[in-house]
Amino acid sequence: MSLPGLDLTQSTAEKQHAPAPPSQINLSSGSEWRFEVAFGTTVRVKLLSGTAELFGTELAPSQTYTFSGTKAAIYTWHGCTLEVSEGDQLSVLDGVTPAGTNGVAKGFGAGGCQSEYTAEETPMVEYANVHFALESLRQEAKSTGKDGPRVLILGPENAGKTSLAKILTAYATKVGRQPITVNLDPGEGLLSVPGTLSAAAFKTMMDIEEGWGNSPMSGPSPVPVKLPLVYFYPMQNPLEGDGAMYKPVVSKLALSVSGRMAEDEDARETGIIVDTPGILGAGKQGSEEVINHIVSEFSITTILVIGSERLYSTMMRSYDNKPSTSASAAASDERITVVKLSKSGGCVDRDPAFMKATREAQIRSYFFGNPIPSTAASALSLSASSTTNITLSPHAQQLDFSSLAIYSVSTPSGSSSDDDEDEYDPANLSSDSLLPGGSAFPTTSQDEPDSQSSQSITLKKLPSPVPTGLANSLLAISHAPPTASPNEIRDSSIMGFLYVADVDSDKGKIRILAPVGGRVPARALVWGKKWPGEVVGLVG
Amino acid sequence: MSSGLASDEVAEDYKNSLEDLTTNDRFQISNLTVIAKENTEHAMAISRVLENHIRSVGGRPSFHVFHYCLYRYTPPAQKLPALYVVDSIAKNVGTPYTLFLGRNMYQTFMNAYTLVDSQTRRKLDEMLKTWKEPVPGSLDTRPVFSPEITRSIESALIKARTAALQQQQARSQHEVLNRGRGVATPPGWSHTPTPPQATPRPAPPHNNGHAHGYHGSADSYSGRLTPTQHQPVDLAALNRDIEALIAAARNDFANSPLEPSVQQRLRALLDLQGILQRQELTQEQLKLVRDQVSALGPASTPVMSNPAPVPNVPSISTPSMANPAQPYRHLLNQGTLAELIKATATRQQPTPPPQPPTSIIPQSSSPQPPVASAGENPLIASLRARGLIPTVPTPSVPPTAPAPSLASAFPFIVPGQIRYTPPVPPPQVSNASDVTVSVQMNTASIKIPRHALISSLYEARSNRCGTCGRRFFATEEGKEKKAHHLDWHFKTNQRMAEAAKRAQNRSWYVDERDWIKSRESGDDQSLAGAGEGDPHAQSNAVEKGPQKQWIRAPNDAALRNTPCPICQEKFESTWSEDVQDWIWLDAVKVGSRVYHGSCYAEVTKDGSNTPVGRTGTPDSILGKRKAEVS
Repeated sequence: MSLPGLDLTQSTAEKQHAPAPPSQINLSSGSEWRFEVAFGTTVRVKLLSGTAELFGTELAPSQTYTFSGTKAAIYTWHGCTLEVSEGDQLSVLDGVTPAGTNGVAKGFGAGGCQSEYTAEETPMVEYANVHFALESLRQEAKSTGKDGPRVLILGPENAGKTSLAKILTAYATKVGRQPITVNLDPGEGLLSVPGTLSAAAFKTMMDIEEGWGNSPMSGPSPVPVKLPLVYFYPMQNPLEGDGAMYKPVVSKLALSVSGRMAEDEDARETGIIVDTPGILGAGKQGSEEVINHIVSEFSITTILVIGSERLYSTMMRSYDNKPSTSASAAASDERITVVKLSKSGGCVDRDPAFMKATREAQIRSYFFGNPIPSTAASALSLSASSTTNITLSPHAQQLDFSSLAIYSVSTPSGSSSDDDEDEYDPANLSSDSLLPGGSAFPTTSQDEPDSQSSQSITLKKLPSPVPTGLANSLLAISHAPPTASPNEIRDSSIMGFLYVADVDSDKGKIRILAPVGGRVPARALVWGKKWPGEVVGLVG
Repeated sequence: MSSGLASDEVAEDYKNSLEDLTTNDRFQISNLTVIAKENTEHAMAISRVLENHIRSVGGRPSFHVFHYCLYRYTPPAQKLPALYVVDSIAKNVGTPYTLFLGRNMYQTFMNAYTLVDSQTRRKLDEMLKTWKEPVPGSLDTRPVFSPEITRSIESALIKARTAALQQQQARSQHEVLNRGRGVATPPGWSHTPTPPQATPRPAPPHNNGHAHGYHGSADSYSGRLTPTQHQPVDLAALNRDIEALIAAARNDFANSPLEPSVQQRLRALLDLQGILQRQELTQEQLKLVRDQVSALGPASTPVMSNPAPVPNVPSISTPSMANPAQPYRHLLNQGTLAELIKATATRQQPTPPPQPPTSIIPQSSSPQPPVASAGENPLIASLRARGLIPTVPTPSVPPTAPAPSLASAFPFIVPGQIRYTPPVPPPQVSNASDVTVSVQMNTASIKIPRHALISSLYEARSNRCGTCGRRFFATEEGKEKKAHHLDWHFKTNQRMAEAAKRAQNRSWYVDERDWIKSRESGDDQSLAGAGEGDPHAQSNAVEKGPQKQWIRAPNDAALRNTPCPICQEKFESTWSEDVQDWIWLDAVKVGSRVYHGSCYAEVTKDGSNTPVGRTGTPDSILGKRKAEVS
């Protein structure tokens, strides 16, 4: 007979593999289906009839979309029927541990969703109207030769800012426009990993399954890739040191975007959509100054405030009906509009564990591609599969630490730990957490004299010997040469990331994972020590 | 199509036969159908005759009909049989008649519709409903007339009804007072012979009016006699009712999302809701809307099938209640209506309906001169306002008419806030895409539902890619784009199958300069130029590279690390946006070996085949630099 223990495992395994029967969800027009899928599980959604869209991007009929590790909503303007079924469990690949807390959290909702329900009340009418209002401005821009609207989205954490940015981008793309979407939130990447500020022109459809989609890869992608311009901001908090590092990077990004606008007619007409970190909307010390910086650098014309009356009134006072900062504003009397938008009832708080898992998933997919394994169905017929199960193969190699120019951020508040680089303290990560309730940073920097605070965050070259703290963290490869000045490196866009798998401090070697094979470009590297932080187990 | 002479003869015969048709005579109609069937080669001529006949039956005679309608309760019954002939032909013969008749069906139908009485309208509505469905018993699943035609008619009717409601606003205080009186003096209507109904019958106007007045009062006015009292109740109840209707319509829509009539109806209801939510209606308007809604509610049938009450209900009720017969006499004495009808009829324009109710509105509401102007049927006014009814240069309407009456009859122009083309899709579908959007960017404006605009995201682009759901216009240009787009899918799938065999990796991000210079390559442009092997394609693929030769970077690691036999330097892999793959710039494959193009050119130029190392020309260095940089 079998041992009790074996018996037990077998039965649980069986239970887990028994797929729940597909369930159908009927949505009446104007309602949405909100669902949460844990990391490590997948849910398949198919549009059977009607029309449906996920954050503005329309679902194709009869295609199966696979979701994992997401909290999203499928909205319908006309009513639709969805079929939801349980997908494969994600096995532990490459030593990948599904995000700690969510590892076994298979939900009991339809198709194994952690939670799923249908909501009748959504702010989609408002959001769509914002799109139409922007369209009016774009039509005007086209006929008059002015620049299209530059939209800034502000709001506290978990208010749906990024979702709104996606909806506006998707709608604009849908009607044949080409917006430049800018992510100024270092907490989450846009076509990149967390810790980056990036911009990309969206001309083609967004990926339903993968948020913003993919940046270019060596192979083809079923959903057209988007080409981002990426800057590294190796901290989570943009207000760090009164934005001493954030602001110059934003300026540089804005400069590039306006350069693109000047040359790219489609982009000029359509304008810019700027997504921001929630901390700017939390009324923290110094955030208004950073907002002001963004507004003037991007010549913002429209400020959308979601889910915060206080922020709205502040913005109204500061910006409404004020001339925008664009060069032509004086001539054309271009003025800033501040608009208040409702927060969707579907916005859920994403707990730190979920955010961490999201960040890890972003980093993982940068190196390894889509984590969703190819299913039998999609492997059989390519045409029937809309899943982007592209597996990427990064290259591992050993590098001499002495041959690299690695810079790291040094802040006054962290100066003590600067001397002690060897000790990487994960607790650091939580100390500059953005959770409302506050961190010590704003107050610290507040005490600093202004003149000094601009100098307070600098890039410093890592001295030998190689710090063991490098292990499991990311190095950004900037476009700046190794000999460039720290400020130049800070303001330089980046080529990509290396993942430090291992540090051999005795021999002064590090083992790294590079997305692209061949020699690692001889450029200045910036260490993402504090942010995006440590990712354990990317390489087995 | 057919020889002119024969057609003329046939047409003449047919015309004569048609003129004999004065009643709904089944035999005659089927006879006419058979004639049409036997003369399909003259379909165009016959269709023309039918159209002209239907049009000419109206006009002046209808003025008399108007009298009948008022005093003898006789339906006009002139246009209806002719339209039944059309219906019979369309169903029994089908093409080519449906094509020819379909062309002007909108005008023909709307013309007739505006001129007939409510009972006939109901019949027309019933007929219209059957046009949206396939011919019973036929194998053909297509509707009798194409959905575009029926949809345009339906939407025009819905909008016209809404417009009619709007026009009632002028009669504000008046009506409330009257209503109050009416309720206070039940005898006025208590002896109504038939139970109140939403659908009017050819009943005496008094009764009819009372019935509706009663209906309105009964539904939500019960016990509330003064306007001040009923205000709050009004709005809440009204919103509830409309919501219920919308919910029902949404249900319908969910069941048959592609049914145009359902879409139209839902849209109209949502528009109505939008207007309400904007709260720009006066209490009086609200009241009228409410009446309308409550009339629709119990029936819970599509708006279409219950057309009559809309323009009639409120208009009849008030005057008849206040002073039953007088308004009519007053009107007739003045002869204003006759004058108006003459003015328009002689132009063969859609005449203002010879219906007392609508014409009375101004009389009862404002005792001022612009009788004629305001007297214009809101239906027509709104249609004109939208340019749906051809023509009507201002002169044909009494001079006082245009601005104010149109504005009030056209609820969708809301001062200040929005101005956009009416939500009615114009008869031609293709026009739907040209909707000019004008939505103000402010907190108030963006709260107004604009469901009509949603169609610019969906219906306007009806040509859908089955793979990714992308939408294209149903125009030639759209088709071409879609063809390119499908090519793109096909090639991508092909290349994915290829790519599955080799390892792939993430590319480096570009720097500022390249990003600024880069242009998104859509997936709907011609793919010519991205192919391999074509020299032009290659030159396109490598935008700024000084060397035009390139090959795909090999996947095999050994091959990839094999240096150029000439200069002994390794090849640099570069991501090519156009090829969507890694390539080696300045590389050329000769036999099984890969050389730097420049090296190879240099060597072969010298006539030497000796692979001497480190002889890279300035060109090749430049090329490789370039590759490194990007």
